[in-house]
Amino acid sequence: MSAIEFHNVGRKFGAYEAIADVSLAVRDKEFIAIVGPSGCGKTTLMRMVAGLEFPTEGRVTVNGRVVRAPGPDRAVVFQQFALLPWRTVRENIGFGLTCTGTAASEKRKLVDHYIKMMHLDGHADSYPHQLSGGMQQRVALARSYVIDPDVLLMDEPFGALDAQTRTVMQEELVRLARDNPRTVLFITHSVEEAVYLADRIVVMGKKPGCIREIIDVSDVRTSEAWQELGIDEVMDLPSFVHLRTRVWRLLRSQMDDE
Amino acid sequence: MTDNVAGGGDAAGMNIRRYLPQRRTLISLAGLVIVLCLWAVVTMGLKLVSPVRFPSPLDTWSAARQLIFTGYGGGLLWEQVWHSSRLVLLGFAVAASSGVALGIIMGISRRAQLFINPTFLLLRPIPPLAWIPLAILWFGLGDTSKIFVIWYAAFVPCVLNTLAGIRTVDKTLIAAARVHGASPGRVLREVQLPGALPMVFTGLRLSLQACWTTLVAAELVGAFFGIGRVLVIAGQDIYPGMILVAMLCVAALGAGMTKVLTVIEQRLLAWRFA
Repeated sequence: MSAIEFHNVGRKFGAYEAIADVSLAVRDKEFIAIVGPSGCGKTTLMRMVAGLEFPTEGRVTVNGRVVRAPGPDRAVVFQQFALLPWRTVRENIGFGLTCTGTAASEKRKLVDHYIKMMHLDGHADSYPHQLSGGMQQRVALARSYVIDPDVLLMDEPFGALDAQTRTVMQEELVRLARDNPRTVLFITHSVEEAVYLADRIVVMGKKPGCIREIIDVSDVRTSEAWQELGIDEVMDLPSFVHLRTRVWRLLRSQMDDE
Repeated sequence: MTDNVAGGGDAAGMNIRRYLPQRRTLISLAGLVIVLCLWAVVTMGLKLVSPVRFPSPLDTWSAARQLIFTGYGGGLLWEQVWHSSRLVLLGFAVAASSGVALGIIMGISRRAQLFINPTFLLLRPIPPLAWIPLAILWFGLGDTSKIFVIWYAAFVPCVLNTLAGIRTVDKTLIAAARVHGASPGRVLREVQLPGALPMVFTGLRLSLQACWTTLVAAELVGAFFGIGRVLVIAGQDIYPGMILVAMLCVAALGAGMTKVLTVIEQRLLAWRFA
Protein backbone atom coordinates (compact mmCIF):
# COMPACT_ATOMS: atom_id res chain seq x y z
CA MET A 1 0.00 0.00 0.00
CA SER A 2 1.33 3.38 -0.97
CA ALA A 3 1.52 6.27 1.46
CA ILE A 4 -0.37 8.68 -0.81
CA GLU A 5 -2.55 7.70 -3.73
CA PHE A 6 -4.33 9.89 -6.23
CA HIS A 7 -6.99 7.90 -8.10
CA ASN A 8 -8.13 9.71 -11.27
CA VAL A 9 -8.37 12.93 -9.32
CA GLY A 10 -10.12 15.92 -10.89
CA ARG A 11 -11.03 19.30 -9.49
CA LYS A 12 -13.42 21.79 -11.01
CA PHE A 13 -14.09 25.30 -9.79
CA GLY A 14 -17.49 25.90 -11.38
CA ALA A 15 -16.99 25.36 -15.09
CA TYR A 16 -13.21 25.79 -14.82
CA GLU A 17 -11.32 22.51 -14.78
CA ALA A 18 -8.22 23.01 -12.62
CA ILE A 19 -7.07 19.40 -12.48
CA ALA A 20 -8.08 16.43 -14.61
CA ASP A 21 -7.41 12.75 -14.20
CA VAL A 22 -4.35 12.78 -11.99
CA SER A 23 -3.22 9.37 -10.80
CA LEU A 24 -0.09 8.94 -8.73
CA ALA A 25 1.12 6.54 -6.08
CA VAL A 26 3.69 7.85 -3.62
CA ARG A 27 5.65 5.16 -1.81
CA ASP A 28 6.27 5.23 1.90
CA LYS A 29 9.26 7.48 2.80
CA GLU A 30 9.54 8.69 -0.76
CA PHE A 31 10.46 12.32 -1.51
CA ILE A 32 8.40 13.60 -4.41
CA ALA A 33 8.95 17.00 -5.98
CA ILE A 34 6.20 18.51 -8.09
CA VAL A 35 7.14 21.10 -10.71
CA GLY A 36 4.93 22.74 -13.27
CA PRO A 37 3.93 26.06 -14.78
CA SER A 38 1.92 28.47 -12.59
CA GLY A 39 -1.74 27.58 -12.51
CA CYS A 40 -1.20 23.87 -13.17
CA GLY A 41 -2.83 22.92 -9.88
CA LYS A 42 0.27 21.88 -7.90
CA THR A 43 -0.94 23.59 -4.77
CA THR A 44 -4.48 22.29 -5.21
CA LEU A 45 -3.08 18.76 -5.43
CA MET A 46 -1.18 19.27 -2.19
CA ARG A 47 -4.14 20.85 -0.42
CA MET A 48 -6.21 17.79 -1.29
CA VAL A 49 -3.75 15.59 0.58
CA ALA A 50 -3.82 18.04 3.48
CA GLY A 51 -7.63 17.92 3.57
CA LEU A 52 -7.92 21.66 2.97
CA GLU A 53 -9.58 21.05 -0.41
CA PHE A 54 -11.40 18.11 -1.94
CA PRO A 55 -11.49 16.52 -5.39
CA THR A 56 -14.64 16.78 -7.46
CA GLU A 57 -13.62 13.57 -9.30
CA GLY A 58 -11.77 10.50 -8.07
CA ARG A 59 -10.27 10.26 -4.61
CA VAL A 60 -7.14 10.90 -2.59
CA THR A 61 -6.05 8.38 0.03
CA VAL A 62 -3.33 8.49 2.67
CA ASN A 63 -2.33 5.12 4.05
CA GLY A 64 -5.40 3.67 2.38
CA ARG A 65 -7.89 6.05 4.01
CA VAL A 66 -9.76 8.64 1.97
CA VAL A 67 -8.83 12.18 3.06
CA ARG A 68 -11.86 13.91 4.60
CA ALA A 69 -10.36 16.58 6.89
CA PRO A 70 -7.02 18.05 7.88
CA GLY A 71 -5.09 16.12 10.49
CA PRO A 72 -1.70 16.03 12.20
CA ASP A 73 -0.74 12.91 10.21
CA ARG A 74 -0.33 15.26 7.20
CA ALA A 75 1.55 18.37 8.29
CA VAL A 76 2.08 21.26 5.87
CA VAL A 77 5.01 23.67 5.60
CA PHE A 78 3.83 26.86 3.89
CA GLN A 79 5.76 29.29 1.72
CA GLN A 80 4.79 32.17 4.03
CA PHE A 81 5.87 30.19 7.16
CA ALA A 82 2.42 30.73 8.78
CA LEU A 83 3.75 30.90 12.34
CA LEU A 84 1.53 32.35 15.05
CA PRO A 85 3.00 35.84 15.55
CA TRP A 86 1.78 35.99 19.18
CA ARG A 87 3.50 32.74 20.15
CA THR A 88 7.19 32.24 20.87
CA VAL A 89 9.40 29.90 18.87
CA ARG A 90 8.98 27.24 21.57
CA GLU A 91 5.19 27.61 21.62
CA ASN A 92 4.97 27.56 17.82
CA ILE A 93 7.03 24.37 17.57
CA GLY A 94 4.96 22.77 20.33
CA PHE A 95 1.63 23.85 18.80
CA GLY A 96 0.77 20.50 17.21
CA LEU A 97 1.84 18.59 20.33
CA THR A 98 -0.49 20.78 22.41
CA CYS A 99 -3.30 20.00 19.97
CA THR A 100 -2.73 16.26 20.21
CA GLY A 101 -2.54 16.42 24.00
CA THR A 102 1.07 15.31 24.44
CA ALA A 103 2.20 15.36 28.08
CA ALA A 104 4.05 18.53 29.08
CA SER A 105 7.35 16.83 29.95
CA GLU A 106 7.36 14.82 26.73
CA LYS A 107 6.49 17.96 24.76
CA ARG A 108 9.32 19.91 26.32
CA LYS A 109 11.80 17.16 25.48
CA LEU A 110 10.68 16.92 21.85
CA VAL A 111 10.58 20.69 21.33
CA ASP A 112 14.06 21.06 22.86
CA HIS A 113 15.33 18.36 20.55
CA TYR A 114 14.07 20.15 17.45
CA ILE A 115 15.24 23.55 18.67
CA LYS A 116 18.74 22.10 18.83
CA MET A 117 18.42 20.19 15.58
CA MET A 118 17.23 23.28 13.68
CA HIS A 119 19.96 25.49 15.20
CA LEU A 120 17.43 27.65 17.00
CA ASP A 121 19.24 27.56 20.35
CA GLY A 122 18.98 30.92 22.07
CA HIS A 123 15.84 31.87 20.15
CA ALA A 124 13.37 29.61 21.95
CA ASP A 125 11.63 32.54 23.64
CA SER A 126 11.79 34.93 20.68
CA TYR A 127 8.73 35.83 18.65
CA PRO A 128 8.69 35.00 14.94
CA HIS A 129 8.98 38.66 13.84
CA GLN A 130 12.29 38.86 15.69
CA LEU A 131 13.79 36.13 13.47
CA SER A 132 15.09 36.13 9.90
CA GLY A 133 13.06 34.46 7.16
CA GLY A 134 15.34 31.42 7.13
CA MET A 135 14.99 30.95 10.89
CA GLN A 136 11.22 31.37 10.71
CA GLN A 137 11.07 28.61 8.12
CA ARG A 138 13.23 26.41 10.38
CA VAL A 139 10.64 26.94 13.10
CA ALA A 140 7.87 25.98 10.67
CA LEU A 141 9.80 22.85 9.62
CA ALA A 142 10.33 21.93 13.28
CA ARG A 143 6.62 22.48 14.02
CA SER A 144 5.75 19.98 11.29
CA TYR A 145 8.50 17.43 12.01
CA VAL A 146 7.90 17.36 15.75
CA ILE A 147 4.40 15.87 15.47
CA ASP A 148 5.89 12.97 13.53
CA PRO A 149 3.45 13.04 10.61
CA ASP A 150 3.15 10.17 8.13
CA VAL A 151 3.27 12.69 5.31
CA LEU A 152 4.99 16.06 5.06
CA LEU A 153 3.58 18.50 2.55
CA MET A 154 5.73 21.44 1.52
CA ASP A 155 4.34 24.20 -0.64
CA GLU A 156 7.33 26.10 -2.05
CA PRO A 157 8.78 26.29 1.46
CA PHE A 158 11.92 28.14 0.37
CA GLY A 159 10.21 30.37 -2.20
CA ALA A 160 10.20 33.40 0.09
CA LEU A 161 13.88 33.10 1.09
CA ASP A 162 16.90 34.76 -0.46
CA ALA A 163 19.22 32.65 -2.61
CA GLN A 164 21.92 31.99 0.02
CA THR A 165 19.47 31.09 2.78
CA ARG A 166 17.63 28.92 0.32
CA THR A 167 20.77 26.87 -0.43
CA VAL A 168 21.47 26.37 3.27
CA MET A 169 17.89 25.29 3.86
CA GLN A 170 17.99 22.84 0.95
CA GLU A 171 21.08 21.19 2.42
CA GLU A 172 19.40 21.02 5.81
CA LEU A 173 16.33 19.45 4.31
CA VAL A 174 18.50 16.77 2.69
CA ARG A 175 20.12 16.14 6.07
CA LEU A 176 16.70 15.95 7.74
CA ALA A 177 15.36 13.61 5.05
CA ARG A 178 18.41 11.38 5.47
CA ASP A 179 18.20 11.26 9.28
CA ASN A 180 14.39 11.01 9.56
CA PRO A 181 13.05 9.69 6.29
CA ARG A 182 9.42 10.74 5.71
CA THR A 183 7.00 10.68 2.85
CA VAL A 184 7.33 14.16 1.39
CA LEU A 185 5.35 16.01 -1.26
CA PHE A 186 7.42 19.05 -2.17
CA ILE A 187 6.13 21.75 -4.50
CA THR A 188 8.68 24.03 -6.08
CA HIS A 189 9.30 26.39 -8.97
CA SER A 190 13.00 25.59 -8.94
CA VAL A 191 14.11 22.73 -11.19
CA GLU A 192 17.48 22.55 -9.41
CA GLU A 193 15.79 22.27 -6.05
CA ALA A 194 13.59 19.46 -7.37
CA VAL A 195 16.51 17.49 -8.85
CA TYR A 196 18.65 18.00 -5.75
CA LEU A 197 15.98 16.99 -3.23
CA ALA A 198 13.62 14.50 -4.78
CA ASP A 199 13.57 10.76 -5.37
CA ARG A 200 11.06 11.32 -8.15
CA ILE A 201 10.06 14.51 -9.95
CA VAL A 202 6.51 14.94 -11.16
CA VAL A 203 6.31 17.38 -14.07
CA MET A 204 2.83 18.82 -14.48
CA GLY A 205 1.15 20.49 -17.43
CA LYS A 206 -1.83 22.78 -17.43
CA LYS A 207 -5.22 23.50 -18.98
CA PRO A 208 -6.29 21.37 -17.27
CA GLY A 209 -3.63 20.48 -14.69
CA CYS A 210 -2.30 16.97 -15.24
CA ILE A 211 0.85 14.88 -14.86
CA ARG A 212 3.04 15.00 -18.00
CA GLU A 213 5.97 12.93 -16.88
CA ILE A 214 7.56 11.38 -13.83
CA ILE A 215 11.35 11.29 -13.65
CA ASP A 216 13.15 8.96 -11.29
CA VAL A 217 16.21 10.51 -9.68
CA SER A 218 16.70 8.05 -6.83
CA ASP A 219 19.03 5.63 -8.67
CA VAL A 220 21.48 8.33 -9.70
CA ARG A 221 21.26 9.91 -6.25
CA THR A 222 22.12 6.68 -4.41
CA SER A 223 24.78 5.50 -6.84
CA GLU A 224 26.60 8.84 -6.73
CA ALA A 225 25.89 9.39 -3.00
CA TRP A 226 24.52 12.93 -3.51
CA GLN A 227 23.29 13.13 0.04
CA GLU A 228 26.90 13.00 1.23
CA LEU A 229 27.83 16.03 -0.89
CA GLY A 230 27.09 19.73 -0.62
CA ILE A 231 24.62 21.26 -3.01
CA ASP A 232 27.29 23.11 -5.02
CA GLU A 233 29.27 19.89 -5.53
CA VAL A 234 26.16 18.04 -6.64
CA MET A 235 25.24 20.81 -9.05
CA ASP A 236 28.59 20.39 -10.84
CA LEU A 237 28.09 16.67 -11.46
CA PRO A 238 27.35 15.73 -15.09
CA SER A 239 24.50 13.50 -13.93
CA PHE A 240 22.88 16.46 -12.13
CA VAL A 241 23.30 18.76 -15.11
CA HIS A 242 21.83 16.12 -17.39
CA LEU A 243 18.74 15.62 -15.19
CA ARG A 244 18.28 19.33 -14.67
CA THR A 245 18.32 19.93 -18.43
CA ARG A 246 15.85 17.15 -18.99
CA VAL A 247 13.38 18.42 -16.38
CA TRP A 248 13.84 22.01 -17.56
CA ARG A 249 13.08 21.08 -21.20
CA LEU A 250 9.94 19.25 -20.12
CA LEU A 251 8.83 22.17 -18.01
CA ARG A 252 9.66 24.60 -20.80
CA SER A 253 7.54 22.66 -23.28
CA GLN A 254 4.59 22.93 -20.85
CA MET A 255 5.07 26.67 -20.59
CA ASP A 256 5.43 27.12 -24.37
CA ASP A 257 2.03 25.51 -24.86
CA GLU A 258 0.39 28.70 -23.62
CA MET B 1 17.25 58.57 -6.99
CA THR B 2 17.04 55.36 -5.02
CA ASP B 3 19.97 56.52 -2.90
CA ASN B 4 18.15 59.72 -2.06
CA VAL B 5 15.07 57.86 -0.95
CA ALA B 6 17.10 55.47 1.21
CA GLY B 7 19.01 58.41 2.71
CA GLY B 8 15.75 60.20 3.50
CA GLY B 9 14.41 57.10 5.23
CA ASP B 10 17.53 56.87 7.39
CA ALA B 11 17.32 60.52 8.36
CA ALA B 12 13.69 60.04 9.43
CA GLY B 13 14.74 57.02 11.50
CA MET B 14 17.41 59.12 13.22
CA ASN B 15 14.83 61.78 14.04
CA ILE B 16 12.58 59.27 15.74
CA ARG B 17 15.46 57.92 17.78
CA ARG B 18 16.54 61.39 18.83
CA TYR B 19 13.28 61.99 20.72
CA LEU B 20 13.79 59.98 23.88
CA PRO B 21 10.75 59.35 26.10
CA GLN B 22 11.51 62.14 28.62
CA ARG B 23 12.08 64.57 25.80
CA ARG B 24 8.83 63.57 24.13
CA THR B 25 6.86 64.17 27.36
CA LEU B 26 8.55 67.53 27.72
CA ILE B 27 7.58 68.62 24.21
CA SER B 28 3.96 67.50 24.73
CA LEU B 29 3.78 69.32 28.08
CA ALA B 30 5.20 72.47 26.47
CA GLY B 31 2.37 72.38 23.92
CA LEU B 32 -0.21 72.19 26.68
CA VAL B 33 1.39 75.03 28.65
CA ILE B 34 1.43 77.25 25.56
CA VAL B 35 -2.28 76.63 24.96
CA LEU B 36 -2.99 77.56 28.61
CA CYS B 37 -0.90 80.73 28.30
CA LEU B 38 -2.65 81.74 25.07
CA TRP B 39 -5.97 81.18 26.80
CA ALA B 40 -4.95 83.38 29.72
CA VAL B 41 -3.59 86.11 27.44
CA VAL B 42 -6.66 86.18 25.20
CA THR B 43 -9.23 86.20 28.05
CA MET B 44 -7.41 88.07 30.85
CA GLY B 45 -4.52 89.99 29.29
CA LEU B 46 -5.88 91.32 26.01
CA LYS B 47 -9.55 90.83 26.98
CA LEU B 48 -10.33 89.87 23.37
CA VAL B 49 -13.26 87.68 24.48
CA SER B 50 -15.92 88.76 26.91
CA PRO B 51 -16.01 86.56 30.05
CA VAL B 52 -19.75 86.03 29.46
CA ARG B 53 -18.92 84.26 26.21
CA PHE B 54 -15.76 82.45 27.16
CA PRO B 55 -14.42 82.06 30.70
CA SER B 56 -10.88 82.91 31.71
CA PRO B 57 -8.66 80.32 33.41
CA LEU B 58 -9.41 82.02 36.75
CA ASP B 59 -13.21 81.87 36.23
CA THR B 60 -12.85 78.21 35.33
CA TRP B 61 -10.70 77.54 38.38
CA SER B 62 -13.23 79.13 40.74
CA ALA B 63 -16.08 77.20 39.07
CA ALA B 64 -14.07 74.01 39.54
CA ARG B 65 -13.56 74.84 43.24
CA GLN B 66 -17.28 75.45 43.62
CA LEU B 67 -18.13 72.10 42.01
CA ILE B 68 -15.55 70.27 44.13
CA PHE B 69 -16.33 71.81 47.53
CA THR B 70 -19.91 73.11 47.54
CA GLY B 71 -21.42 71.25 44.62
CA TYR B 72 -23.47 72.27 41.60
CA GLY B 73 -26.42 70.86 39.68
CA GLY B 74 -27.46 68.70 42.62
CA GLY B 75 -24.14 67.23 43.74
CA LEU B 76 -20.42 67.53 44.40
CA LEU B 77 -17.90 66.90 41.62
CA TRP B 78 -17.15 63.33 42.65
CA GLU B 79 -20.86 62.51 42.89
CA GLN B 80 -21.56 63.85 39.40
CA VAL B 81 -18.47 62.17 37.97
CA TRP B 82 -19.29 58.89 39.66
CA HIS B 83 -22.85 58.99 38.40
CA SER B 84 -21.82 59.55 34.77
CA SER B 85 -18.83 57.20 34.85
CA ARG B 86 -20.92 54.43 36.33
CA LEU B 87 -23.43 54.70 33.48
CA VAL B 88 -20.68 54.78 30.87
CA LEU B 89 -18.88 51.80 32.39
CA LEU B 90 -22.10 49.78 32.68
CA GLY B 91 -23.19 50.65 29.14
CA PHE B 92 -19.71 50.00 27.79
CA ALA B 93 -19.37 46.66 29.59
CA VAL B 94 -22.70 45.43 28.26
CA ALA B 95 -21.99 46.76 24.76
CA ALA B 96 -18.43 45.40 24.65
CA SER B 97 -19.35 41.91 25.80
CA SER B 98 -22.46 41.58 23.65
CA GLY B 99 -20.90 43.36 20.66
CA VAL B 100 -17.69 41.33 20.64
CA ALA B 101 -19.67 38.12 21.14
CA LEU B 102 -21.99 38.89 18.22
CA GLY B 103 -19.01 39.96 16.09
CA ILE B 104 -17.31 36.61 16.76
CA ILE B 105 -20.45 34.64 15.94
CA MET B 106 -20.96 36.56 12.69
CA GLY B 107 -17.23 36.28 11.95
CA ILE B 108 -17.00 32.52 12.20
CA SER B 109 -20.39 31.61 10.74
CA ARG B 110 -21.46 32.86 7.31
CA ARG B 111 -24.94 31.60 8.07
CA ALA B 112 -25.17 33.67 11.26
CA GLN B 113 -23.94 36.69 9.35
CA LEU B 114 -26.53 36.24 6.59
CA PHE B 115 -29.21 35.77 9.23
CA ILE B 116 -28.34 38.82 11.31
CA ASN B 117 -27.06 41.23 8.67
CA PRO B 118 -30.40 42.54 7.29
CA THR B 119 -31.63 43.53 10.76
CA PHE B 120 -28.26 45.00 11.58
CA LEU B 121 -28.09 47.04 8.36
CA LEU B 122 -31.57 48.37 9.02
CA LEU B 123 -30.84 49.45 12.60
CA ARG B 124 -27.34 50.77 11.97
CA PRO B 125 -28.24 54.11 10.32
CA ILE B 126 -30.51 55.08 13.23
CA PRO B 127 -28.52 57.56 15.35
CA PRO B 128 -28.33 56.49 19.01
CA LEU B 129 -29.93 59.75 20.10
CA ALA B 130 -33.02 58.96 18.02
CA TRP B 131 -33.62 56.10 20.45
CA ILE B 132 -33.89 58.42 23.44
CA PRO B 133 -37.66 59.05 23.22
CA LEU B 134 -38.39 55.34 22.91
CA ALA B 135 -35.91 54.53 25.67
CA ILE B 136 -37.61 57.02 28.01
CA LEU B 137 -40.98 55.53 27.08
CA TRP B 138 -39.69 52.03 27.88
CA PHE B 139 -37.46 52.63 30.87
CA GLY B 140 -38.42 56.09 32.19
CA LEU B 141 -36.09 58.98 32.85
CA GLY B 142 -33.81 56.94 35.11
CA ASP B 143 -30.49 55.23 34.50
CA THR B 144 -31.82 52.23 32.60
CA SER B 145 -32.89 54.26 29.59
CA LYS B 146 -29.46 55.90 29.45
CA ILE B 147 -27.66 52.58 29.70
CA PHE B 148 -29.84 51.30 26.88
CA VAL B 149 -28.97 54.20 24.58
CA ILE B 150 -25.27 53.96 25.48
CA TRP B 151 -25.34 50.25 24.78
CA TYR B 152 -26.90 50.83 21.37
CA ALA B 153 -24.32 53.48 20.46
CA ALA B 154 -21.36 51.40 21.60
CA PHE B 155 -22.61 48.06 20.33
CA VAL B 156 -22.32 48.80 16.61
CA PRO B 157 -18.57 49.60 16.40
CA CYS B 158 -17.80 46.56 18.58
CA VAL B 159 -19.71 44.21 16.30
CA LEU B 160 -18.37 45.64 13.05
CA ASN B 161 -14.72 45.75 14.09
CA THR B 162 -14.75 42.32 15.71
CA LEU B 163 -16.39 40.89 12.60
CA ALA B 164 -13.83 42.54 10.35
CA GLY B 165 -11.02 41.42 12.68
CA ILE B 166 -12.09 37.77 12.59
CA ARG B 167 -12.59 37.87 8.81
CA THR B 168 -9.21 39.39 8.06
CA VAL B 169 -7.19 36.80 10.00
CA ASP B 170 -4.67 35.27 7.59
CA LYS B 171 -6.30 32.16 6.04
CA THR B 172 -2.91 30.44 5.89
CA LEU B 173 -2.56 30.75 9.68
CA ILE B 174 -5.91 29.02 10.11
CA ALA B 175 -4.91 26.31 7.62
CA ALA B 176 -1.57 25.86 9.41
CA ALA B 177 -3.34 25.40 12.75
CA ARG B 178 -5.77 22.87 11.27
CA VAL B 179 -3.11 20.74 9.58
CA HIS B 180 -1.22 20.53 12.86
CA GLY B 181 -4.24 19.06 14.60
CA ALA B 182 -6.17 22.06 15.97
CA SER B 183 -9.91 21.58 16.53
CA PRO B 184 -12.29 24.37 15.43
CA GLY B 185 -12.47 25.55 19.06
CA ARG B 186 -8.71 25.74 19.30
CA VAL B 187 -8.46 27.54 15.96
CA LEU B 188 -10.87 30.14 17.36
CA ARG B 189 -8.98 30.52 20.66
CA GLU B 190 -5.43 30.30 19.37
CA VAL B 191 -5.67 31.88 15.92
CA GLN B 192 -8.86 33.80 15.15
CA LEU B 193 -9.31 35.62 18.46
CA PRO B 194 -5.67 36.71 18.93
CA GLY B 195 -5.57 37.65 15.24
CA ALA B 196 -8.70 39.76 15.58
CA LEU B 197 -7.58 41.40 18.82
CA PRO B 198 -6.05 44.58 17.34
CA MET B 199 -9.28 45.32 15.47
CA VAL B 200 -11.39 44.39 18.49
CA PHE B 201 -9.53 47.07 20.43
CA THR B 202 -10.08 49.59 17.64
CA GLY B 203 -13.78 48.79 18.01
CA LEU B 204 -13.63 49.13 21.80
CA ARG B 205 -11.95 52.53 21.55
CA LEU B 206 -14.56 53.84 19.09
CA SER B 207 -17.22 52.33 21.27
CA LEU B 208 -15.92 54.05 24.41
CA GLN B 209 -15.97 57.41 22.63
CA ALA B 210 -19.53 56.72 21.52
CA CYS B 211 -20.43 55.95 25.16
CA TRP B 212 -19.37 59.40 26.36
CA THR B 213 -20.94 61.24 23.42
CA THR B 214 -24.21 59.46 23.97
CA LEU B 215 -24.20 59.77 27.74
CA VAL B 216 -23.72 63.52 27.71
CA ALA B 217 -26.43 63.90 25.06
CA ALA B 218 -28.78 61.66 27.04
CA GLU B 219 -28.13 63.62 30.24
CA LEU B 220 -28.77 66.86 28.38
CA VAL B 221 -32.21 65.56 27.42
CA GLY B 222 -33.16 64.62 30.93
CA ALA B 223 -31.24 63.66 34.06
CA PHE B 224 -31.27 64.28 37.80
CA PHE B 225 -27.51 63.88 38.21
CA GLY B 226 -24.35 63.66 36.17
CA ILE B 227 -21.97 65.78 34.12
CA GLY B 228 -24.62 66.35 31.47
CA ARG B 229 -26.92 67.69 34.20
CA VAL B 230 -24.17 70.10 35.31
CA LEU B 231 -23.88 71.28 31.68
CA VAL B 232 -27.65 71.87 31.38
CA ILE B 233 -27.92 73.82 34.65
CA ALA B 234 -24.76 75.84 33.90
CA GLY B 235 -26.24 76.71 30.50
CA GLN B 236 -29.49 77.84 32.07
CA ASP B 237 -27.57 79.89 34.67
CA ILE B 238 -25.36 81.40 31.94
CA TYR B 239 -22.30 80.23 33.86
CA PRO B 240 -19.55 79.74 31.23
CA GLY B 241 -16.91 78.78 33.81
CA MET B 242 -19.02 75.84 34.97
CA ILE B 243 -19.86 74.83 31.39
CA LEU B 244 -16.16 74.60 30.64
CA VAL B 245 -15.47 72.65 33.86
CA ALA B 246 -18.10 70.10 32.88
CA MET B 247 -16.64 69.83 29.39
CA LEU B 248 -13.14 69.37 30.80
CA CYS B 249 -14.48 66.66 33.11
CA VAL B 250 -15.82 64.74 30.11
CA ALA B 251 -12.49 65.21 28.34
CA ALA B 252 -10.48 63.97 31.34
CA LEU B 253 -12.75 60.99 32.01
CA GLY B 254 -12.86 60.01 28.34
CA ALA B 255 -9.10 60.30 27.99
CA GLY B 256 -8.53 58.42 31.26
CA MET B 257 -10.73 55.49 30.27
CA THR B 258 -9.18 55.36 26.79
CA LYS B 259 -5.76 55.26 28.46
CA VAL B 260 -6.80 52.30 30.62
CA LEU B 261 -8.01 50.55 27.47
CA THR B 262 -4.70 51.25 25.73
CA VAL B 263 -2.73 49.85 28.68
CA ILE B 264 -4.82 46.66 28.60
CA GLU B 265 -4.30 46.43 24.85
CA GLN B 266 -0.54 46.81 25.19
CA ARG B 267 -0.49 44.08 27.83
CA LEU B 268 -2.45 41.71 25.63
CA LEU B 269 -0.46 42.55 22.50
CA ALA B 270 2.89 42.60 24.29
CA TRP B 271 4.37 40.26 21.66
CA ARG B 272 4.21 43.07 19.10
CA PHE B 273 6.61 45.22 21.10
CA ALA B 274 9.02 42.39 21.96
